[in-house]
Amino acid sequence: MKRLVQIGFVVLLALLWQLATLGHVSPLLLPPPAAVGREFLVLLQTANFWPDLRVTLFELIAAFLIAAFTGSAIGSAVSRSSYAVRVFDPLFAGMYSIPAILLFPLYVLFFGLGPGSKIAMGATIAFFPVVLNTITGLSQVDRAYVAAARSMGASPIQMFWSVMLPAAFPVILAGLRIGLISGFLAILGGETIASFSGLGHRIVNLAESMDTARMFANIVFVMLVAWVLNAAVSFAEARGRRGIA
Amino acid sequence: MLDARDADASHRKIPAGRWALMIQVDGVGQVYGEEGDPRRIVALENASLEVARGELVCLIGPSGCGKSTLLHLIGGLAAPSSGEIRIDGERVQRPLPQKIAYVFQENALFPWRTVLENVKLGMEFQGVPKAEHENRARESLDAVGLSEFAGHYPRQLSGGMKQRAQLARAFALRTEILLMDEPFAALDEQTRLLLGEDLSVLLARTGKTIVFVTHSLVEAVFLADRVAAFTARPGRIKQIIAVEEGHPRSRIFMTSSKLAGLRNELYELLHDEIYKTMNEAGIAR
Amino acid sequence: MSPTAARLAIIVAMLAAWEAGVRWFGNPLFVSPPSRVAVALLDLAGNRDVLAAVARTCLEISIAFALSTILGVGLGLLVGLHRFTRGAMYPVILLLYAVPQVTMLPLFVLVFGIGMVSKIAFGVSHGVFPILMTVAAGVQNIEPILVTSARAMGASRRQILLAVVFPHALSSFFTGMRLGMTAVLLGVLLAELYVSQAGVGYFTTMFTQTFQPQNLFALVAVLAAIAIMLNALCRWAELRFRANV
Repeated sequence: MKRLVQIGFVVLLALLWQLATLGHVSPLLLPPPAAVGREFLVLLQTANFWPDLRVTLFELIAAFLIAAFTGSAIGSAVSRSSYAVRVFDPLFAGMYSIPAILLFPLYVLFFGLGPGSKIAMGATIAFFPVVLNTITGLSQVDRAYVAAARSMGASPIQMFWSVMLPAAFPVILAGLRIGLISGFLAILGGETIASFSGLGHRIVNLAESMDTARMFANIVFVMLVAWVLNAAVSFAEARGRRGIA
Repeated sequence: MLDARDADASHRKIPAGRWALMIQVDGVGQVYGEEGDPRRIVALENASLEVARGELVCLIGPSGCGKSTLLHLIGGLAAPSSGEIRIDGERVQRPLPQKIAYVFQENALFPWRTVLENVKLGMEFQGVPKAEHENRARESLDAVGLSEFAGHYPRQLSGGMKQRAQLARAFALRTEILLMDEPFAALDEQTRLLLGEDLSVLLARTGKTIVFVTHSLVEAVFLADRVAAFTARPGRIKQIIAVEEGHPRSRIFMTSSKLAGLRNELYELLHDEIYKTMNEAGIAR
Repeated sequence: MSPTAARLAIIVAMLAAWEAGVRWFGNPLFVSPPSRVAVALLDLAGNRDVLAAVARTCLEISIAFALSTILGVGLGLLVGLHRFTRGAMYPVILLLYAVPQVTMLPLFVLVFGIGMVSKIAFGVSHGVFPILMTVAAGVQNIEPILVTSARAMGASRRQILLAVVFPHALSSFFTGMRLGMTAVLLGVLLAELYVSQAGVGYFTTMFTQTFQPQNLFALVAVLAAIAIMLNALCRWAELRFRANV
C-alpha cells in the first residue's frame, strides 16, 4: 500500500509535468519528459560527458585528499589536549556555519577560473566535517578503554593506533563521508558560478543556450553521479566500520 | 491451583468481614505475534489474582516473566489476549485515570515542566477545576517531602527525588488504586530502602490499593501484604506468599528475622525460575 | 586563559599574520591586508548600489527563511504525525533531498529570472528540507514513556498532542530553524553569486575582473558578518528554548 502511494505520487508528478508541457508552460522552460529521456539516452550513447566528468572528478579527488589530510592531522593534534578541544572545536564549528561559498569569489581571484579555484572551494568545505568529526571521535573515546590500555602498559603510540583510532574510527569515517559529498556539491557550485569546464559548467552552458531538454538530461546525469558517489562511500563506510567492529 | 481464590483462604490478612474486592484478574493471558510465528511470545499465561481494597500486592519474578505486562493490563494501557480484568466489578477496556494512577520505572516527568507543573499535569488532563490544582499539587508534594523543590525542573533532581515527584503526581490524582512499575529500580540500594520506608508510612496513611512490580526480594517482602511470585516465561503466577505484618513498617521490620525468613522463602521459590531465564538468554551454561 | 579569550587571540593573531604577510610578500592586485579592507569597508558603506544589493540580499534571506519555516514545519508535522503521509511522502522527500540542488540553479534562474524571486525560490529549496526533517523527527522521537504516562493520566489524543508532543518537539523546531537558516544562506548566496548581471554577484564579478581585492574582501566580509549574525541569532533562540529540556 505504502509502495503504491509512493509510486502513485511519482507517476502523478510525471503526469503533471507532461500535462504542463502540453499546456501553457513554454517547452523552453520545461521540456516534456519524453524529450529529456531521449536526450539522456543520447548523452549516455555519445558519452560526450567524459571531458567534463574527468575535470570534476579530478577536482573532487584533489580537494578531498587535501581536506582529509589536513582535517585529520589538525583534528588529531587538537584532540590531544582537552584545552585545545575547548578552544578549537567551537572555532571550527563557528566557521563551518558561515556559508563558505562566499570565499569562492576570492578563490577565483587567487586561482583563476580553472580547476584551482574549485579544488580550493571543495577542500575548504570538506575540511570542516573531517576536522570536527576527528576531534569529536578522538576526544570522546570511552575513558575505560584508555584506562584499561594504560593498565596493560600501552605506550602513547600504541595507545593511539590500537585504542584511540579504532574507537574513534566510525565517527572519523562519517566525517570523511560528509566531507566528500559536501565537497562534491561545493565543486559543482563553483563550476556553476564561474568556470570553463566541469559538469556544473556544462549545465550552465546548456541553460544559457536555452537547450533545456539537454540541460535536464545533464542534471539527471549529475544526480546519477551523485547517487553512485553516495552509494560507493556508504559502502566503503560500512566496510570500514565492519573492519573495526 | 495457583488461583488466588484458592490461595487466599490461608494467606489473606484482612479479616473476612472487611474483605472487599478491588482488582480482579481472571485467567488473563497476553500473547504477542500470530500462532506459528517463530517470534511469537507468550508473555503471560492464565494469571489470576484478586486484590482487596487497601491491600498492597507485589509482583516479583525473573526478567520477561510478564509482571510488567500484567500491570499494564490492569491499568488498561493494553488489552489482554485472553481472560478478563475487573476493577470494582467493572471490566477494564481502556485507561481509567479517575481510578488508577501510575508510577513508572523510567523518568516519566516532563522535562519542560517544573515539578509543580508536572504534578498539575494529570489534573489538567482530567479537567479538574483549575482552582484546585495548586492546593492539591502542594499537598501531595508535601506528602512526599518535595515542597521545597516545587519550582525545580526534573533534571535538577536526583533519581530518588524524581521518583518522589512521580509519586506526588500520582497522589494528586486522588485515585483509589496506584500501579507502580519498578518505581525504584533505577536507584541505588540505600535510597530505595529509605524510599520504601517512606512509602510504607505514606500508604498506611492513604489506604490506597496498590500493585507494585519489583525485582528486589527485600523490597517485595518489606512493602507487600502479599507477594505474587512469577515463573519464567511463559509467565504464570507460581505462588502467593502472605506477609502478615501491619503498616507502617519500619527499620525494625527491615532487620527482623521474619523478613529474612520470608525473603529466603521467596528466593528458593524464584531461584530455579531465574536460572531458567538466564539459560534461555544464554548467560549461564 | 579561558578558551573564549584564546579563540579571540587566535583570530587576532591570524589577522595580524595576514596583514604582515600581505604587506611584505603580497601582490596588491590579488590580496589586500585587513587594514585596507577596513578602509574599503568605509568606501562601500558610501556606495549606494552596493548597499542596495546587500539590502536586497538580506530581504531575500528573510523571505526565504520565513517561507522555509512555514513550509518545513507544516510538512514536517504532516509527515511526522501521520503514518500514512509519512509512508507516502517521506521516501519521495528523501529522494528530493538527495538531489544535488546546485545543478538546478541555472534552471531556477531560467524559470524565475535574475531578480529576487529566483534567489528566494532557490533559498527555500535549500531551507525547507532540514526544517522538515528535524520537525518530523522531533515529533516522532518522543520518549514512549511520556506518551504512556500521559495516557495513563487520562490525556486525550488532542491533549497528548498539545501538552506532550508539541512541547517535546519545540527544541527540534528551533534546531530545524537553525539548520534551515544555514541552508537558506547557502541557497540565496549561491544564487546571488551565480547571477553576475545584478545584485551581489555583479559586484563580486566586477571587483574580481577589475582587480579591486580590497573591495571584494570587504563585500565578502560584510556578507559573512550578516551570515554569522543570523546564525548566532538562531543558535541563541535554540539554546534559549532548549534550556528546560
